[in-house]
Order: sequence, then structure tokens, then C-alpha cells
Amino acid sequence: MLRYLAKRAVTYVVMIFLTTSAGYFLAVTSLQPALLEQERIPRPTPEQVANSFRLKGLDPALSPWERYVDWLTGIVTRWDWGRSPNGAYINAEFTDRVWISTRLFLASIILTLIIGVALGVYTAARQYKFSDRAITSYSYLVYIVPAPIAYFLVQLWAININETVGDRILFVTGISTPGLEGDGWVQFLDMLAHYAVPTFAITIVGWGAYQIAQRQYLLDNVNADFVRTARAKGLTRNQAITRHALRVSFIPVAQSIAFTIPAIFAGGFFAEKIFAWHGVGSWSIDAIALQDVNAATATLAYGSVIFAIGAILADFATTLVDPRVRMQ
Amino acid sequence: MSSDTTGLGTAERLNTTERLHAAGLHSADSAPAGAVLSVRDLNVRFNTENGVVHAVRGIDFDLMPGKTLGIVGESGSGKSVTSMAIMGLLPETADISGSVRLHGTELLGLSDKAMCRHRGNEMAMVFQDPLSSLTPVYTVGAQIIEALTVHNPGMSKQAKEARAVELLAMVGIPSPKDRLKAFPHEFSGGMRQRVMIAIAIANNPRVLIADEPTTALDVTIQAQVLEVLHTAQEETGAAVVMITHDLGVVAGMADDIMVMYAGRPVETGSVDDIYYNPRMPYTMGLLGAVPRVDTAEKTSLVPIEGIPPNLINAPTGCSFAPRCPLATEECLDGEPALLAVGGAGDGTLEHRAACIKSEELGAGVDVHRIFSAPEVPVSRFDAVPRADRKAVLELTDVRKHFPLLKGSLIKRRIGTVKAVDGLSFDIREGECFSIVGESGCGKTTTLLEIMEFHRDQDGEVTIGGLSNKAASDAKTKAAMRRELQMVFQDPTGALDPRFTVFEVLAEPLENSGMAKPAIRKRIMELMELVGLQPDHVNRFPNQFSGGQRQRIGIARALAVNPKLVVLDEPVSALDVSVQAGVINLLDQLRAELGLSYLMVAHDLSVVRHISNRVAVMYLGKIVEIGDVDEVFDRPRHPYTRALLSAIPVPDPRLERTRERIILQGDLPSPLDAPQGCNFATRCPVFAALPPAKQEKCLTIEPVLENAAHPGAAPGRPAGGPPSAPTDQQFACFYPDGDLDADMLVVHETT
Amino acid sequence: MTNLNAIDPAAVAEEAKIEDGDVVIAKSRIILRRFLRNKTAVAGLVIFILLTLLSFFGGALSSWDKETIDPFNIGTEPSAEHLLGTSQAGIDLYALTVEGTRVSILIGLVVGLVSVLIAAVYGCTMAYFGGKVDKIMLFILEALIMMPALLVVAVATSGGGDGLKKSLPSWLLLIIVLLVFSWMGTARLIRSLSMSLMQRDFVKAAQYMGVPARRIVWRHLVPNIGSLLVLDITRGVTGAILSEVAFSFIGIGIKVPDVSLGVLIGQATSQVSTFPWMFWVPLTVMFLLTGSLAMMNDGLRDAFDPSSSSIGSAKKRKKATA
Repeated sequence: MLRYLAKRAVTYVVMIFLTTSAGYFLAVTSLQPALLEQERIPRPTPEQVANSFRLKGLDPALSPWERYVDWLTGIVTRWDWGRSPNGAYINAEFTDRVWISTRLFLASIILTLIIGVALGVYTAARQYKFSDRAITSYSYLVYIVPAPIAYFLVQLWAININETVGDRILFVTGISTPGLEGDGWVQFLDMLAHYAVPTFAITIVGWGAYQIAQRQYLLDNVNADFVRTARAKGLTRNQAITRHALRVSFIPVAQSIAFTIPAIFAGGFFAEKIFAWHGVGSWSIDAIALQDVNAATATLAYGSVIFAIGAILADFATTLVDPRVRMQ
Repeated sequence: MSSDTTGLGTAERLNTTERLHAAGLHSADSAPAGAVLSVRDLNVRFNTENGVVHAVRGIDFDLMPGKTLGIVGESGSGKSVTSMAIMGLLPETADISGSVRLHGTELLGLSDKAMCRHRGNEMAMVFQDPLSSLTPVYTVGAQIIEALTVHNPGMSKQAKEARAVELLAMVGIPSPKDRLKAFPHEFSGGMRQRVMIAIAIANNPRVLIADEPTTALDVTIQAQVLEVLHTAQEETGAAVVMITHDLGVVAGMADDIMVMYAGRPVETGSVDDIYYNPRMPYTMGLLGAVPRVDTAEKTSLVPIEGIPPNLINAPTGCSFAPRCPLATEECLDGEPALLAVGGAGDGTLEHRAACIKSEELGAGVDVHRIFSAPEVPVSRFDAVPRADRKAVLELTDVRKHFPLLKGSLIKRRIGTVKAVDGLSFDIREGECFSIVGESGCGKTTTLLEIMEFHRDQDGEVTIGGLSNKAASDAKTKAAMRRELQMVFQDPTGALDPRFTVFEVLAEPLENSGMAKPAIRKRIMELMELVGLQPDHVNRFPNQFSGGQRQRIGIARALAVNPKLVVLDEPVSALDVSVQAGVINLLDQLRAELGLSYLMVAHDLSVVRHISNRVAVMYLGKIVEIGDVDEVFDRPRHPYTRALLSAIPVPDPRLERTRERIILQGDLPSPLDAPQGCNFATRCPVFAALPPAKQEKCLTIEPVLENAAHPGAAPGRPAGGPPSAPTDQQFACFYPDGDLDADMLVVHETT
Repeated sequence: MTNLNAIDPAAVAEEAKIEDGDVVIAKSRIILRRFLRNKTAVAGLVIFILLTLLSFFGGALSSWDKETIDPFNIGTEPSAEHLLGTSQAGIDLYALTVEGTRVSILIGLVVGLVSVLIAAVYGCTMAYFGGKVDKIMLFILEALIMMPALLVVAVATSGGGDGLKKSLPSWLLLIIVLLVFSWMGTARLIRSLSMSLMQRDFVKAAQYMGVPARRIVWRHLVPNIGSLLVLDITRGVTGAILSEVAFSFIGIGIKVPDVSLGVLIGQATSQVSTFPWMFWVPLTVMFLLTGSLAMMNDGLRDAFDPSSSSIGSAKKRKKATA
């Protein structure tokens, strides 16, 4: 089993390398930080720009291949992902950003999963009853709303609440109030006020897919032969479903859960942008706007790594719940 | 919920409840004392888009302790619905009325929860498909223990585990203690069915319902499982309801039989009444439709034309009348009641038949005449000695080995699966050659190898004089395809659902470059040839019944006038009555068109009926080959003997006294093929041999050798023609040897 | 087998049809009939067609176009003169919405259709050749799935100095990028479906008849994955419209001066309280568009699903999911 996971991991490392390299070439050929620099006031001479870039390891005079080799050597030998046009080091910035992104999404992911799976089971058990129809219709509705617009609507709603109450109880942007002073309790309340809106928004948009999947998989198994066997033993229909069908229906769900964790991070671009949390997602977009080759590539690599982790998690989760795979 | 899905009005519902009460009272009066299970006027209705399907219509029976009732019928006859209704396992939307009493307690109308006290406790069930009936994520032990926990909450963990081990041992699972921790996917189908039986008998049920428990299994495994059921019944003293479509399976087991048709019992009685004195044309037809493995006499099978009626419209006459050769005007006037016909009366069930003409029927009536079974067709080749006929297919030392690889990046070969290992045989003009054996023995791979026809194959395949070694370019291949065509097992899967019958039949013709008008003409010919209405050519396959679809498949195979047709289990997916029609058709086509067949089948009765020659395969090798009557009447190889003895025969008296060889275990993995004789691990002769002789089996591989004069064999009555030349061959050092007593079973029933 | 048939009323009903010699109907006719029976789906189709017609010919219904500034009506609410009001720059919102809808539908249709086409070709090729070809193509496919599409979209559409970007309008660029990243899932599905079809007996039968491979793919494989393709086109169109809106909303998809629904919605976010119609009008159109597609998709799925007509509950499911 471990060998199998290790083998998968090797495949993904190769893939990450390839996608990141491809991303670097795409970025290095289409992003032209020098042009942006030229528009600064006072306007620097092309020589000045080239000089400053050469110092930061971003020499535009070199061919893409030469730059790629330099960049790769830096990563492999010193774990140095290069510098931004403004001189900042990618490594330093990256760590902060990842921490912010993780804080934004961790709570949402956990809530999304728990609510989605629980509602899926609940609706499957009450198939075609009113609550099932209402919840399932909602999940389908979420499917036709682009995530950023949904976030924005939640934001509008939160602003509305604030206006109704007449006090700013919910923060619709930002991660914390800068310069806030006070004891732990005040800090905690501030954090809560900042977390509430984005977490809520990401969660209510996210659980729809899990609800539909869990409902479908469970319904697929409700009339399975082994459930009939369990009932023939003397279990009631509900006991047979909860003890047998539910466990089997977790197999595909576990797999899809692990696979969609990266999707939530990917959707995070939108959430970070709208709620103004300066995580990896918004960084990547800003990096492109600033024509920052190294930052853009680093975020791309980060996305690939998250995906690979998700895929390996999916394999692992499947082996946990399905003894047939465990055999290998 | 149910009110809007069943679509029955409130008035009708009330009515149902009233009926239920009335029936309940009624049954209390008439049920014989001591019956464990009494069913009265059981009716089941389902709602569908097309209307209410009345799936079960008025079932009555009583089951005495320790007795076995066989319910026989084709698919859609309502036999499984009956069992599910008794167990209370039908969906809530089903409308069930009547009365089901277990020890006098009414079961119908009980809530799911109340029903759970009985299910798995006094009443248990074994289902058809063992592969899907166990939960894949729990261990076998956990699933058995669950059955114990539900009904014995106070039982200690150790006691439950001990009981589970005991149960597994009882159903014949080796090293039961370790196997408790195994998952279902680690078990073969036969082993899983044993586990199912263990679960069913865990709480010593009074009634055990087995719904087609062996249909999905090989004959050898079927024999094992039936044996386990028998033991289970003896151990628990339970009454058994055995549901099956196979008249052979119940012949030896059942005390009483109920034959169902279109949701109704059409004939009931003791097993002897039904088999030897049937009084309803349907029962007679069913008995005549199954070929017998134990008789060489060649008669056509009884075909029952048509298909069962749909159960949406209430029948106005006898539901079998449209298919019954004896039907007259009066049969269409009201459904005949199930009336006593005065049989031997030796069973719990009185001999009754639902036929107004039952008086005219009985033991002395020739079923072949009634159903006008066709004459046995005679091929022009039948008169020509085999040696003088041309060979249409020759296989010389054909092998197919699959390397078994392991390792992640660099694959290493850890073994070889010898799926087909050195096969040689030939098929002559006008003959039917069959390959038999358990699933996994390599018979399907053999067919694929022949169809493949490629130069790089290991071994030579010669089809109609074209050898794969000589040339296998596109042109030769096309020529070979005209000589050889194939009919598939599953008639539904073999026809593209998006093609009309015309398109299906036109495909091979267009491919051979035939002109449009000629194709049209040929298709009409083909439709008539296989007994289909030519004006149905514009229909889609899903508008035909299973038997008709198989006829389309046969017509497609015959389109380009091949000499040899490969038949891969051609009738195993069909119902018994339909099967007879297709077998007769194949027989007739072989005679009329001078075709040769290469058939693969697991049903040895069908093989005996239709084949001229047979080869028995075991683990990729032929272990016995020869004329079908010689091999079946005088089997020499222990495996052939075991295979033949495992087949149940629809003859209760014979079944009750027949000696049966029960092979131990499953077909071993071809990977672990032992050095000497492949079969030694399961061989009943080998087991009885003294160690000195066993040595030979374990070290030297036996080869096919011509059978000596049968009379010379020790321990065998010299009844056969001793000097007749025979081409029967077998691969065994100790043919006709004494059998190990442990593997022999005889049921002496009183 | 027997036991399943017995309790499946569908089989009984099916048999009934055979026996009664029911009218012979072509499969496509059955599918059409089932689709038309589903009212939601038909409503979806009607809405979608109306929106498409409006977006292409609706411009003629108004005298304003998306460039003309009305200096007398700047940021006005809907009125007789400007049906849907004007933007803060004084441009008629109706004209903008018609233009934006057209761009969104165009992107959706092109991406939906072409990506399914790419997926079909790629998936069938993988299934047909198998072996090494399949392995390599699968690797490429998975690598593409791993690429965060959004980043690539952003890189490709960001106004660098590249000549390509200058010569191409942003909507075409977005179409290309969305295409590159939208076909992989479908391709993987088509691959597994064709692989299982290749194992089916009717394909084997055709092979054993000596029917050439190209013909087998064309006559047996493609029609049998047809229903999946149709479903994936509607799904693909929805997905593409949603992506366009999402990307343009945060400012990395379609760039001004081009307009699309996403651009209109995105631009209006900063002034929701002052010019609410600027936000809600394009948003409503987008909902109508994606909603109608979802309704159609649901009806198509039911129409293609062979089991849907057999069980009495089929009708209810439609209600539940609509």
C-alpha cells in the first residue's frame, strides 16, 4: 500500500515539475515587467531598468531558456524561488500568503464537508419529501451561480445587516482590524467578526456539490442486494441503510472529497479577491497584473502541489474505506 | 407517500384491509395443525407508468416442519415476488393482500420493526446472487455476528464468535477461524453463497427460503451448495421453500412442488405427482423443454411458443391459453380454478391443476405430440462416416499464456497463467463439437483464440483450409470470416441497441460487398429461416423478447453463409421454455444447411442434446474428448465423472438414489497449476489412491490417450460393445478408479 | 436474473409492449417525446432560444447603441427613453446588455461545442489505441487538469506586450484559453465509456464480421456515446458562461472596451446602492441564461436515461431537481 502511494507521489512530482516549467515559460514569454517599469515617474532609462532587473535575477536580455535554467538552479540548489520586480523575495512573501489562505479555507472546508455529507444523507433518507426537494433544488441553484457573484451577494447581505443594526458587527473585507488593541477576548471577537462572512459565503456555496453527490451515492445503494440481505437478517430498513448502504456510499464520496479540496482552494482566488484577504490566490492575480514572473510561477506550483496532495489523499481515503483496494 | 404512488383509491384500500381480515380468519380455520408457514390468497400489485401490475395472484400453501416446497416458474412468473412478500422485503409501494401466517402469527400488515423480530430469526432467506449479496466493506465474520446480535442482544462476544466459527464450519468453509476476518471479495462465488447460508441459519430458523440459490454458480459448485443446504436443513430441522427455474434442482430436494405461471399457481402437488403425472399443459411443456443429461435417446425438445402475458390487464381466460396447443374456445372463458385432480396424495399439497382439460392429461399423454415438437432433423452428413468428412476447423497445439506481472516501474514476471495449454482438436463438416468445463477452465479463451486468427499465435488454427500460419493478412482474414461466424451468450448485449434488425442483418452483408437489392432479399430469407416475421425488420432489438433476440443473433451469424458457427453459451441467458425453441432451431439449421458448430456451454444437458462430440476442459487442457454419448455414458476421467454426477436430473426417483461426487473446493487458480496432473488437488480417485500410486499423479503429467476397450477396464460391467472402435480419449493414469468415500454422497430419502 | 426480472415491473411492462405490438418508434423519437413531456426542459429551451434571438437581433429594437453617450441621461433609472436605464457614463443599458449577452452566449456556445468535440476525438483516440498511446495521452490530460486554469487565463489575457494579444479581441482570447482547460473531464469520461463499449458483444460481433475499425468507431461507438455528448454540450455551455462571468467579474476575463455579462456585473458592483439596475439587470439575464440551460440539461438527462420512464417515481425526480 505504502509502495503504491509512493509510486503515485513520484508520478505527481514529475507532473508538478512539468506543469510548473510550462507555467514558467508561459509567464516568462508573456509577462514583460520591464514595460511596466518604464512607465514609472520619473521615467527610468532602459539601461537603469535592465540593471536593476539584472540585480534581481530578472534580466530581460537573457533568452527564456537561460532564465529558466537560472531559475531552476536557484530552486534546486538553494530553494530560492527568485525575487519580484520590486525586489521582494518570493520565499518570504509566500509563507505569509499560504498561512492566510489556509486560515481562510480550513474552517470552510471542514464545515462544507460536514454539512454537505450530512445533508446528503438526510435528503436521501427523505427522498422526494419536501425537505429533500427544497435542499436539492438549492444545491442545483448554487450550481448556476458563479462563485464570485455568490460571494458578492453574501457581502451585500452582510452590509445590509450592518446597516440594519446600525453598527459594524460584521467585517466584509480584511483579515483583522489593523492596530486593534485589547486583550485576548477583544482580539477573538475581532477575528470572529472578520471570519464570519467569508466562511459563511464559501460554505453555503460549497456544500451543494457534496450534498448532491452523497445523496446520489446513497440512493444508488439503498436498494442494493446487500441491504436486502441485512434486512433479511432482521435489521429494519433504516438500520440496514445506516449500517450497510451508508458505509458503502462513502467510498466514492471519500474519493471526490479529497479531489475537490484543491477545487476549493482554486475557487479561493475569487474569495480572496472579494473579501480582500491577501492570500496566495489574490497574490497570483496581483502578480500577473504587476508582470511578476517568479511570483506567478510560484503560485502555479503551489496550485499543482495542492492538487497532487488532494489526489494522493483521495487514494488514501479510498483505501481506508474500501477493503477491496486495501488488498493490493 | 403510498397513496399517490399506488394510485389506489381509499375505498379500494379499505377493501384490501377487509380482505386481509377475511383471509386471515379463513386461514385460521383451514390451516393444518402444525404448519410452520401458511399462505392464503396472497396477492401483490405494483404500480408502474403503464398501469397496475398484478404480479402475484392468489397463492395458497402450507409448509410442514422439515419439509421442502419447490416453487418452479420462469422469470416474471411471480415466484420471487412471492418469497419477498412473505419476508416483508417488498418496497412500501407494493400492495400486498391475503394472509401469511408463521406459527399462526399473521405477518402481513406488520410494521417493518415488528417484522424484524421474525426475519432472520424464525424465518431466513438465501438470495440468488452471492457476489452482490454481502456488504463489501465488512468482514464475513462481522456479517454473521450481526445476524446473531440482532436477535440475541444478550449474547457475549466470545459466544457469538464461537457460534460464527461453528456456522462457517457447518457450511464447509476450511479454517473457519481465520476466515472470519476475511472480506467477501476474498471469497469465490460458491464460498460467498455458503456464507449467505451460514447467515441464514445462524438463529436456527423454522423456515428457510432459498431464491435461486445456485443459479449463478457452476454445476460442481451448485452440487456443493445444494449439499450444504441439505446439511443445513438437517441440522436446523427447518422447512425450506426452494425457488427455482431448474426442474432438476428441486427434483431431488423437494417434497412438494408448486408450478407458477403469470403470477398464479397453475399446478401443485407432491413431487412425484408433478414429475410423473402432470395435469396441466404448462407443466408438461416445462418438463419436455429441458434436455436430459442421462439419456442418449434423441428427441426434439418441447418448444412453448410465445411469451408469458403481461400482468397489467386482468386475464379473462386461462393465462396460458395463447401458448397452449390444446387451447379451445372454452379456455378463454374465465380463468380456470386450481382444482383437485386426485393424484397419489402423498404430499402436503393436494395435487391440483388449473386447467379445464386436466382430466384428459396425465402420465400416459405424449407431450411431444401435444406440443407438436418437430421431427428430429437429419443432416446429410449424418450418414457419412466422420473420417470421410472434411475438417472445417483444426486446432494444433494452441496455447495462450498470460504473463503475470508485478512491480511498479520495472515489471517482473512472477508467473504464467496458462489459460489455454496445448489444445488440439478438429471439427468435421456437419457436426457439433462442444467444450465443457467450469468457468475459468479456458473454454472462452479458446473461442477468442480461434476468432483472433493471427500469425503470431502460439499454435496453428486452420479454418476451412486457411491456416493462420500460412497467411493472416486482411484478405485471408476476410475469407476466414466468411467461413466462421459467432453467436454470443447475451442476446441483448450482442445487438447494437441503436440498430434496427434490418441494419443488424445488413452489416455483415454490406461488409461482404453485396448489392443493395440482394441484401434486402437475403434479409427476408434470413428472417424466415430463423422463424421471425419478415415484416419486423424495422423494429429495434428492445422490442423483441430474449428468445427472439437470440434468433436475430443467429440470423446475423448465418448471413454470409458460414460453414462453421461458434456458439458461446447460446441459450444460457434464456428461459427454459424459450431455450427449447432456440435449441430446436439450431438443430434444424445444422441439418438443413449442413453447418458445423463449435459450442461452449456450462449446461451439460444442453450439450448432450445438441452435440455430436464433446471435449471436457480443466485448467486449460482437454482431459477427455470423444463422441458425446460415449463420454457421457462411459466417462473415464474422474473430472468428467464428477461433472456429470453433479448435474441434477428432472427425475425425482432417480435423484433421490443417485450417487453424487462432490468435488472439494473451487477451481484452483491457473497460476498454482501443480506439476503433475492438474486435477490431483480435487480428484476423488487420487484421494483414494495409496501414496505409492499418488506419486505418479503428482510428478508426471498425463496425456490424452485413446480409451482402451471399455470392457477391459476393471470394476466396470462389460456391457458396452467391447470391440467397437472408439475415438474417446482421456488424460488420466487411473481411469475408472475407486472414489474417495468422503467425496461421495447418496441421499436415501424415505 | 430471473428474480430481478420478477420484481421489476418495468420488465413486465416492457414485455407487455412487445406483446401488444406497440407502435414501432425510433429511439430518437422516443427521446424527443420524453424531452417534450418534461415541461421544465421545454421552458428552458424556449427561454434560451428567446435570449439568443434577443442578443442577436435585439439591438435593432432600440435606437441606442453601446457606444453612443446620451448626455441628457447619465445614470438614470429605467424610463421610456432608456428601457433599462443608463450607465453612469450615459450609455444605454439595454444596448449594453444585448451586446454583453451576445458575447456571453457566443463564448458559451463555442466553448461548449468545441470542447466536447476535442474531448470526443481525444477520448475516442485514447480508447481506440489503448496501450502506450493511452498512457501518454492520459498523462498529458492529467497534467492539464493540474494546471490552475485561472492563472493561465490571467496570464494569457493580461495586457502584456505580446503581439498576439494586441491582434486578438479579449473575448476570442478567453474562448481559446477556456477551450484549452475545459475538455479534460469530458475526455476522460468518453475514454472510459468507449473502453467499456469496446468490450460489448455487439462491437466484438462487428469485429468478428471483419468490419473495418473506422467503420466500427463511426457506426457503433459514436452513436452510443451520443447521449453523453449532447448532455456534455449543455453542461459545457453552462460552464463556459459561468467561467466567463466569474473571470470577467474579478477583472481578468473580458476586458473593456469589450462587454459581456460578467463585465457589466463586475463594473456595477461598486455602485450597487447608487445604480442598482446596473447590477441587477445583467445578473438577471445571466440567471435566465444559466438557469434555462440547467433546466434543459435536466430534461435531456431524463430523456436519455433508459430507466427514467420505467419507474413511477421518475416524474417526481424531475420536480425534485428542477
